[in-house]
Amino acid sequence: MDRYRNKATIMSLIFMGFGQIYNRQFIKGLIYLLIEAYAIIYFSSNLGRALWGIVTLGETPRTKVNGVFVDADHSIILLIKSLITILFLIIFIIIYIINVRDARKIAEKREQGVQANRFLQSIRYVLDYKFAQALLTLPAVGILFFTIMPIIFMVMLAFTNYSSPNHIPPFKLVDWVGFNTFKDLISLKTWSHTFYGVLTWTIIWAVLSTVTTYFGGLLVALLINQKGIRFKGFWRTILIIPYAIPQLISLLVMRNMFNGQFGPINQYITKYFGYFGLGGLPWLTDPFWAKVTVIIVNMWVGIPVSMILIMGVLTTIPRDMYEAAEVDGASNYQKFRIVTLPMVLFSTAPILIMQFAGNINNFNAIFLLTSGNPVVGDYQYAGATDLLVTWLYKLTLDQNKYNMASAVGIIIFLIIASFSIYNYRRTKSFKEEDMIQ
Amino acid sequence: MKMKKMLTLLATLTLTLSITACGTSNSTTNNAEPAPAPAANNTVTEAPAQEEAVVEEGLQPEEGATLIVWESREERAFTDEIAKQFEEKYGIPVKVEEVAATDQVTKLTQDGPSGLGADIVMFPHDNLGRAAEAGLLLTNEVLAEETIANNTPASIQGVTFNGELYGYPRAAETYALFYNKELVTEVPQSFDDVIEFSKTFTDKSKNRYGIMWETGNMYFNYPFIASGGGYIFGDNGTNKDDIGINSEGALLGLQTYVKLKEVLPVKSGDITPDIKRSLFNVGDIAMDITGPWELAGYKEALGDKLGIAPIPTIDGKPAISLSGIKAWYINSFTQYPNAAQLFAQFASSKDAQLLLNEKVGSIPTNNEALASDQINNDPFVAGFAQQVINSQPMPTIAEMGNVWSPVNAALPEIWDNGKEPKEAMDKAAQQIKDLNDGATE
Repeated sequence: MDRYRNKATIMSLIFMGFGQIYNRQFIKGLIYLLIEAYAIIYFSSNLGRALWGIVTLGETPRTKVNGVFVDADHSIILLIKSLITILFLIIFIIIYIINVRDARKIAEKREQGVQANRFLQSIRYVLDYKFAQALLTLPAVGILFFTIMPIIFMVMLAFTNYSSPNHIPPFKLVDWVGFNTFKDLISLKTWSHTFYGVLTWTIIWAVLSTVTTYFGGLLVALLINQKGIRFKGFWRTILIIPYAIPQLISLLVMRNMFNGQFGPINQYITKYFGYFGLGGLPWLTDPFWAKVTVIIVNMWVGIPVSMILIMGVLTTIPRDMYEAAEVDGASNYQKFRIVTLPMVLFSTAPILIMQFAGNINNFNAIFLLTSGNPVVGDYQYAGATDLLVTWLYKLTLDQNKYNMASAVGIIIFLIIASFSIYNYRRTKSFKEEDMIQ
Repeated sequence: MKMKKMLTLLATLTLTLSITACGTSNSTTNNAEPAPAPAANNTVTEAPAQEEAVVEEGLQPEEGATLIVWESREERAFTDEIAKQFEEKYGIPVKVEEVAATDQVTKLTQDGPSGLGADIVMFPHDNLGRAAEAGLLLTNEVLAEETIANNTPASIQGVTFNGELYGYPRAAETYALFYNKELVTEVPQSFDDVIEFSKTFTDKSKNRYGIMWETGNMYFNYPFIASGGGYIFGDNGTNKDDIGINSEGALLGLQTYVKLKEVLPVKSGDITPDIKRSLFNVGDIAMDITGPWELAGYKEALGDKLGIAPIPTIDGKPAISLSGIKAWYINSFTQYPNAAQLFAQFASSKDAQLLLNEKVGSIPTNNEALASDQINNDPFVAGFAQQVINSQPMPTIAEMGNVWSPVNAALPEIWDNGKEPKEAMDKAAQQIKDLNDGATE
């Protein structure tokens, strides 16, 4: 009984909407027809150029003829436009597949003797049964063009030589160079030395800043929750203030406070501890001490968040556990080690990993406090406290090395993505686990 | 994530623009129709007589022209005023947008081709090479003779690249010795005098210093490199393969730099412009080497006590400072080249430069303005003018962009960590070489 279905399928394959018209669904068929007609007009004038553009990235740069500029190919704009056309092509292909499947489905229904829906009935069907899909189509297209497309574009840049000074359009063309950028990053001595140096510090920073803020927060939360402590609300408020002040303000103030010569901190140290032979410390000018400074200041900013989090967890620990521990004669320290710490860790471990991933990209803490300085002589546009992300910022905005920045960005993404996936899996495995043995 | 968002935004912006803007521009490019150009462009050097005739007729602004100008925050007061005068005279509305002078070329690289750039931009001339090589600027042709005739040769050299004149100079900038007359009775002639004076004045525990300047910034430390015969790029700053920051002469001058550490025992990273400014204002620093952009603030703080002198000599040779020429340039993607040229001419004229001097305290490049009473009776500008004579314009080649970072990393190594100047400068020179070569791959 396939009198209809094959015919409808083939007709829809030949031209969008034919199958629907064959199924006596004239309005729907006409809409499909118009879509295809428009697509043919659009792609016939664009698709060839788009494919040429994305393959060659332009052949003739902007030139000057008799003192007049003649515009030609701007590689980067070509790349973006080609990308858009290709995305449209993908959308068109998806619509085409939908149209063929639709024609076939309706034809099958007709074989079973069901009358095909009229247009209004189709609309009602969509609104009743496919409401979510219909509603999400527009945002999905938006996400495709405003989120996914730029990301694809930026990933593509890593495989070109788009960088200052010799490959900046419009006077110069940009070319595909495959994995050369990554090769340079890893093999060229100046780049690789900087990259490994910055990467190492980024990892150290992520570990240290996460651990210090987390355990600092734990300590503070436990202290405030002690029985004998009064004015609990007051202490909480005091400790939450650093988190409430915008970092843009507080960190720039810190920058002045830590100034090695004129900052109040060193002035204070030399004034009151000068007798003990303590001079000030080079808080921001010595590579090692600058690292210490960013960790310390980050503790000040980050501890409140952990504190609030852990306070919440502490309230969920059943009191009878502590009572049981007391009956067994546990000391305070044992109670902490055997009851409190495992419980807190159990609930917050996923968040700990999230914080770690976030700290890898902690742009504010570094950029506002030290701008990545002190400068390091043999680094390529980076300083001693630069993280990968602040280095990327400098490469892009100060030096116009877009391809290198893109390559670094991809590497950051891979590191963070692997952490996030690990984290996600951990939480799932956690959920299935029993409580602590 | 912040970075990603910004880049995404940028990409989407360029994307939307490319959709809208290229829709209109494609039609012209495909037919290879040149963009509307200044009338005299096709008779470049062939017929000067004809060109003069054109100038006499004057440029006619395009119908319905509107202009956008980029200007830095510090000098905005001047541009707002000039824009208003220009609008009154020609009836062309001008919108002023704030972009830091040193960021303008980078921004124009992105915004120019997508049609978002300003019609007229303004930046120090060391960025000229980058911008001209990327084809972002129109050459100054119609008004070239007038520009050359009206401005000092040094400023014209600064805004010329590869033998073509691009800019419309409006101010010369270098740095000089600001001193507090109350504290410094006798202006030091050499850095040895500076050291002697500072020994009597400097008191680290009270944060009083005889002299202070940004010791980690090549711009201000160029005298130590250049006075003994060092240089950045050879052949007047055009030969990228001849790097002179580690030459004999440079290392000789840097000995003086090293000697100065004893009177300024402060890490270079701790000397920020803000801190220096506040200390000088209250009289805790007797001398400060800085540029005219500080003039207005210092005048207000010190009044009559402020004096300006040329930078002290180094090993008996006059200190050679780096000078920057700030000039107007015209975006080559502008839709209104004639109107833009009119504005650049108007805003770099004698009157405009005098206005700029009045509002900001700059040094004019216009010959008549330099000879005017306003400038000659201005003791501050006179001090600068003497230093300008002993200054070298920054190189304009694109590779200049590769110089700052390595040298600015080498100087603190010498200043803070006591590294041998030779070692640090050799490394910086090697890095600049690598960057230059990496760029030509």
